[in-house]
Amino acid sequence: MKWFLSLFRVWRRETWLVFTDVGVLLFFFGLPIGYPIVYTLIYNPEVVKEIATVVVDHSRTAESRELVRTLDATQGIDIVGYASDMPEARRAWGEKKCYGIIEIPADYAQKVGRGEQAVISFYNDMSLLIRFRQYLFALTDVQMHEVSKLTAERVATLGGGLVTQVNGLPVDTRPVCMGDPTQGFASFIMPGIVVLILQQSMLLGITMIAGTAADRRRRNRGRDPYEYEAGPVATLLGKSLCYMMIYIPMSYYILHIVPEMFALPHVGNVRDYMPFVFVMLLATTFLGQTIQVFVRERETSLLVVVFTSLVFLFLSGLTWPRYAFSKFWIMVSDFIPATWGVEGFIRINSNGATLPDVARYYWSLWALVGLYFVTALLLRLYLAPRRDKQAQLGYSIEDKV
Amino acid sequence: MLPSLRHGIATLCSRRIYLFMMVIVPAFCAFFFLNLMHEGLPLKIPVGMVDMDHSSMSRNIGRALNASELTEITEDIESYNKAIDRVRGGEIFGFFYIPQGFQEKALSGRTPTLSFYSNMTIFVPGSLSYKGFKTIAVTTSGGIVQTTLSSVGLDSNLASNLIMPLRTDNHPIGNPWTNYSIYLSQSFLAGLIALLVLTVTTFTVCQELKAGTSPRWLEIAGGSMSKALLGKLLPQSVVFISVGVAIQSVMFNYLHFPLNCPAWHMVLAMVLLVLSCQAFALVIVEIVPNLRLSMSLCSLIGILCFSVAGFSFPVDKMYGAVGIFAYIMPIRYYFLIYADQALGGLPLYYSRFYYIAMLVMLLLPLLGLRRLRRRCLHPVYVP
Repeated sequence: MKWFLSLFRVWRRETWLVFTDVGVLLFFFGLPIGYPIVYTLIYNPEVVKEIATVVVDHSRTAESRELVRTLDATQGIDIVGYASDMPEARRAWGEKKCYGIIEIPADYAQKVGRGEQAVISFYNDMSLLIRFRQYLFALTDVQMHEVSKLTAERVATLGGGLVTQVNGLPVDTRPVCMGDPTQGFASFIMPGIVVLILQQSMLLGITMIAGTAADRRRRNRGRDPYEYEAGPVATLLGKSLCYMMIYIPMSYYILHIVPEMFALPHVGNVRDYMPFVFVMLLATTFLGQTIQVFVRERETSLLVVVFTSLVFLFLSGLTWPRYAFSKFWIMVSDFIPATWGVEGFIRINSNGATLPDVARYYWSLWALVGLYFVTALLLRLYLAPRRDKQAQLGYSIEDKV
Repeated sequence: MLPSLRHGIATLCSRRIYLFMMVIVPAFCAFFFLNLMHEGLPLKIPVGMVDMDHSSMSRNIGRALNASELTEITEDIESYNKAIDRVRGGEIFGFFYIPQGFQEKALSGRTPTLSFYSNMTIFVPGSLSYKGFKTIAVTTSGGIVQTTLSSVGLDSNLASNLIMPLRTDNHPIGNPWTNYSIYLSQSFLAGLIALLVLTVTTFTVCQELKAGTSPRWLEIAGGSMSKALLGKLLPQSVVFISVGVAIQSVMFNYLHFPLNCPAWHMVLAMVLLVLSCQAFALVIVEIVPNLRLSMSLCSLIGILCFSVAGFSFPVDKMYGAVGIFAYIMPIRYYFLIYADQALGGLPLYYSRFYYIAMLVMLLLPLLGLRRLRRRCLHPVYVP
């Protein structure tokens, strides 16, 4: 009973500390509320359409003009004009008037008429792969369209038994894009980013609380007047309780309301993703309390945690898939809650997976909860006596650093 | 000027955090990005195959999928439902579905349907598996037509023209391998340096305000704010520029990333990037001379740069009200210079405005010097 009372007191003290510190409030509330909206606004146009493209037509025939019209009609390509030759087209590209150049050779119509294979050349800007991807999709579509049209024409002209033998293509293909059927960019990146925002904002807040406490200890000869003395387990759990209390409603906002607001893919069941994210948040509270020990100043935590966001984003496998990692980086990424959080959440959210489907991610997260609970506990047990000693001596080790 | 510079160097040596943020973090991140993506493309995507036909033709498709550099069949799955479960569990990134009676229908001209499913929740393997699947599906279909045509006595050359009447020759300028490391590492490492410059600059300047040592700092510089700032920031510029150019040389010289322009175009861009980011941070400090607030602002902006500067989504397709912010970020100009010069190999003339924009940014902090000086004489620390 006494233990529960001290747990309650730690929780109460921590909550008070959080709500009286504007800096921490900014990280715990401002960041998770504002960032997802800003990010989604950036990527909200979703699909790159109508990319400016210039045509160099050496053929100048009805056939080549029809090809250009077909290209212009695709979602990806917008023909902004003709250039008389390649240097002129290149100039337009240099001036950012277009991002791709299509060159139609002089013998295009001839080859089409003779039943030979016609080849067109396509040059494109490679600064962004998303443009290249759209171009490829558009060109493949046009190619398939021409194939079915020209093949049918030619087979008809060849006549005879062929017509009955070949009737268009013998096999139909049906591509299905799962999870992100429109292949929008926001729909792909946001479900992963929001999970990362949850972890990083919590880490920022927790380390800032620790930094402020370290500042206070420096001023008060190694003792923090606001620290509530309790057993190490009660302290750890009491603090976690405070963070979880803030982050459970926050994660509902970020994981449910944000996708609804921007019509992002959101087919997961709340009963699957909330328990899943609960474990990730719990692991993060203990991870935060582990690194808390190393923070010496209120502001340095910001310096250190911010750049890790970028590293964690890549380690989560969202941009570069995890199966292509080397063994070493797989091992490193295994220790980060957001890795499992992102992997599991995007599958629940976009593919409609259930908790049993993502069991391996779920149990990995529980393993991290255990791991970081133990590390936080050990560090606390090891450091607390040292701090007391310093307090008695009347100086703190931080002064030397 | 000299005492002020000496003070700046002393600041750098005073704490380990500077060594950590200015050398260790960039070096680690460069190693991280370049090592993580050194393969260039995540090939051999784990995919599944659901073969309901069990015919010689379906086995051929399976072999083709395995032989393709894009996909690797890690599992033979017995049903559609099982395959969906595998995708949901994250074991595979897509699967190829061959319906029952496929061979029979294909050969008798009853047009069966080949389906392929790609999981687009993770973009890169999703798109690549889509491409791999599509290629196999089209070549399978083409192969059948060619066999049919040859069997009725058509010249095989004519037959292949019939199947592929139009072909596109692709020339991706500067990155013909569609290498992801070239595409991502360049912009992300430069963005990281920009982020570090922003935060470290605000940290050093505001640290003086927080510790209350700023009057002394001004005094060393003879009471001149600009001298004090130059003395403090120039040593940092030197360190950051050296680190930045070192990372560039690793990418361009050691890893042979495309560099289609004289090297000094990129070195100049890096110098200007570091300097203009310092200027940008100074402007923020002049507006909010408070350690925590200005650092929070700089890190928020620095992180947003990665998205708003259009490294992955084109700025001209963003909403106008959002895209406009790209042009107040120095990193946007560095990225444009990189795309024009190193990647595209365009004449310097086309990138002139980007260099000028970064130069103009260097002048902006002059506007708020007096305000900052006032604050330095009467430092107040608000936590």
